[in-house]
Amino acid sequence: MTEFALVSAILLSIGSLAWGYVKEGFSSFSLFLFVFGIVWLFSQWRKWDWFSSIGLFVAVFAAAIGIWLEFDLSWMIAGSVFALFAWDMTEFRRRLRYIAVDDDIRGMQRRHIARMSLVILGGLLLMTISLLLRLRFTFEWGVLLVIVILLGLTQLITWFRKQ
Amino acid sequence: MLTGLVSLRGEFIALAIPFALYLLIGFWEAPETADLLVERRFSNDRAAPDSDVVIALTIKNLGGNIEELLFEDKIASRLSVRFGSNRHLLRLPKGSSHTLKYTVAGPRGSYIFDSIHIQAMGTLGLIERSRTIPVGGQLFVFPEVRRLKSVSIRPRRTRVYAGTIPARAGGAGTEFYGVREYQMGDSPRAINWHVSARHAENLYSNEFQQERVADVGIILDARERANLFRGSYSMFEHSVRAAAVLSDVFISHGNRVGLLVYGGYLSWTLPGYGKVQRERIMQALAGANVGISSVFAGLEHLSSRMFPTQSQIILISSLARDDLNIVVQLRARGYQVMVVSPDPVKFEHGLLPPSAEVELATRIVRMERNLLIRRLERAGVQVIEWDVSKPFDQAVGPILMRPHGSSFRRML
Repeated sequence: MTEFALVSAILLSIGSLAWGYVKEGFSSFSLFLFVFGIVWLFSQWRKWDWFSSIGLFVAVFAAAIGIWLEFDLSWMIAGSVFALFAWDMTEFRRRLRYIAVDDDIRGMQRRHIARMSLVILGGLLLMTISLLLRLRFTFEWGVLLVIVILLGLTQLITWFRKQ
Repeated sequence: MLTGLVSLRGEFIALAIPFALYLLIGFWEAPETADLLVERRFSNDRAAPDSDVVIALTIKNLGGNIEELLFEDKIASRLSVRFGSNRHLLRLPKGSSHTLKYTVAGPRGSYIFDSIHIQAMGTLGLIERSRTIPVGGQLFVFPEVRRLKSVSIRPRRTRVYAGTIPARAGGAGTEFYGVREYQMGDSPRAINWHVSARHAENLYSNEFQQERVADVGIILDARERANLFRGSYSMFEHSVRAAAVLSDVFISHGNRVGLLVYGGYLSWTLPGYGKVQRERIMQALAGANVGISSVFAGLEHLSSRMFPTQSQIILISSLARDDLNIVVQLRARGYQVMVVSPDPVKFEHGLLPPSAEVELATRIVRMERNLLIRRLERAGVQVIEWDVSKPFDQAVGPILMRPHGSSFRRML
């Protein structure tokens, strides 16, 4: 079950990004993404779990460049979101290697995939709403957001230190 | 998100929203500190080598829900998992409990289980909390014991209780001891009519040897130099097995048995009787390991509380060249000494590739060993050689069971 989800997510992530770039005439970069996708799939077959972190970084970076160059937003965002899904699946599969044959493997897989799908759907929904509302950025709004983010990061670091 | 804020472009913020939500839920659903009650049970905490022992772990969750609980029972490296797994990943809702079983097997040893390691993870597995929970337990894998019917020994001193060891004193028994003048109360069946016929003035009665229990001290040589050959090949397991068989037979005949394992240090099991003592000795043998002492230092000062003087001592050792003096000294102190000696020459010869040099070296070492054994026998020490390629009970058992006089003959 998780294999199918992982392979599908990698294909969808790389496919979305590559298609987004092809549409804008960046065929050579699409080819790079395509080759990278094959390497990513190969790495999962070889159980090189660390490669998914690289995959996630490359996908998000490619999506950010695409957005910067004002490519089709939906393909870029789909590429990064499916990369996140693939990264999560890799981590989950790594933990599943410790599972014993008599444990409830299918139940855990089903619950995790359902939860992850809900999180991704929720994220996409929020993102769509934010794009539809098209809040206009002012300088003051930006400063407020920076302060909120810094406060959030401070809380996060404090929390980690307590652990 | 920062890029979005710097460039004042909402698309970047939109790109970050799914990631932010993922992190938010991951942290929000972080697990509480796992409050677990863990119990460990063994199907059998005293096992034979390589026999299956089922370990059951019952985990009860006294805290909040744990979406993913990864736990690992730490087991000794020498134990192998036969069925099931000592690692599990499971979901443990609040108040629920789960029992997991796996089967281990291993060689002789005393295995201590002290803790399990757990990792509790939240909904998305982003945050994990690790903890080690102490859950004690001990598994003894005793050496294999093949029962011997009896072992013929004749210590100079016995104890007062009735047993099977000839006591060098006349009385009730089964073995003929001598003839003496008839005394009031002697059974008419004890009268020796042949002797009485030759002496008209008196009657004579047969006297039998009293049979009593005795003190038996077993010394197990655990020195590295006497047990390890060609690096990792060890004869120690054979010696341990011999010690187990001998202690078992002596205890089962009611004798008072003590054990000294002589390795890196002296490990004593004080003398005692019965099943409890058998258990103590087996536990000591299960935990016995080879140590790095080179000579039998200290054996000349054996405590008489441990090994009473004139009692029987059985030394299980492959014997090194410089052991002669110390064994002879034990004999000189009045102990009846028997050496059960696993044959190191045959053992090591079997490990070496055949060649003329090996054959020559084997002959030389064999001669040296024969000389050492002859000197010991001349000093009154009974030496029994054991070719460890044959089981102890088959190779040495018949010799040990012979009556004392004939058991002095060495095995060839």
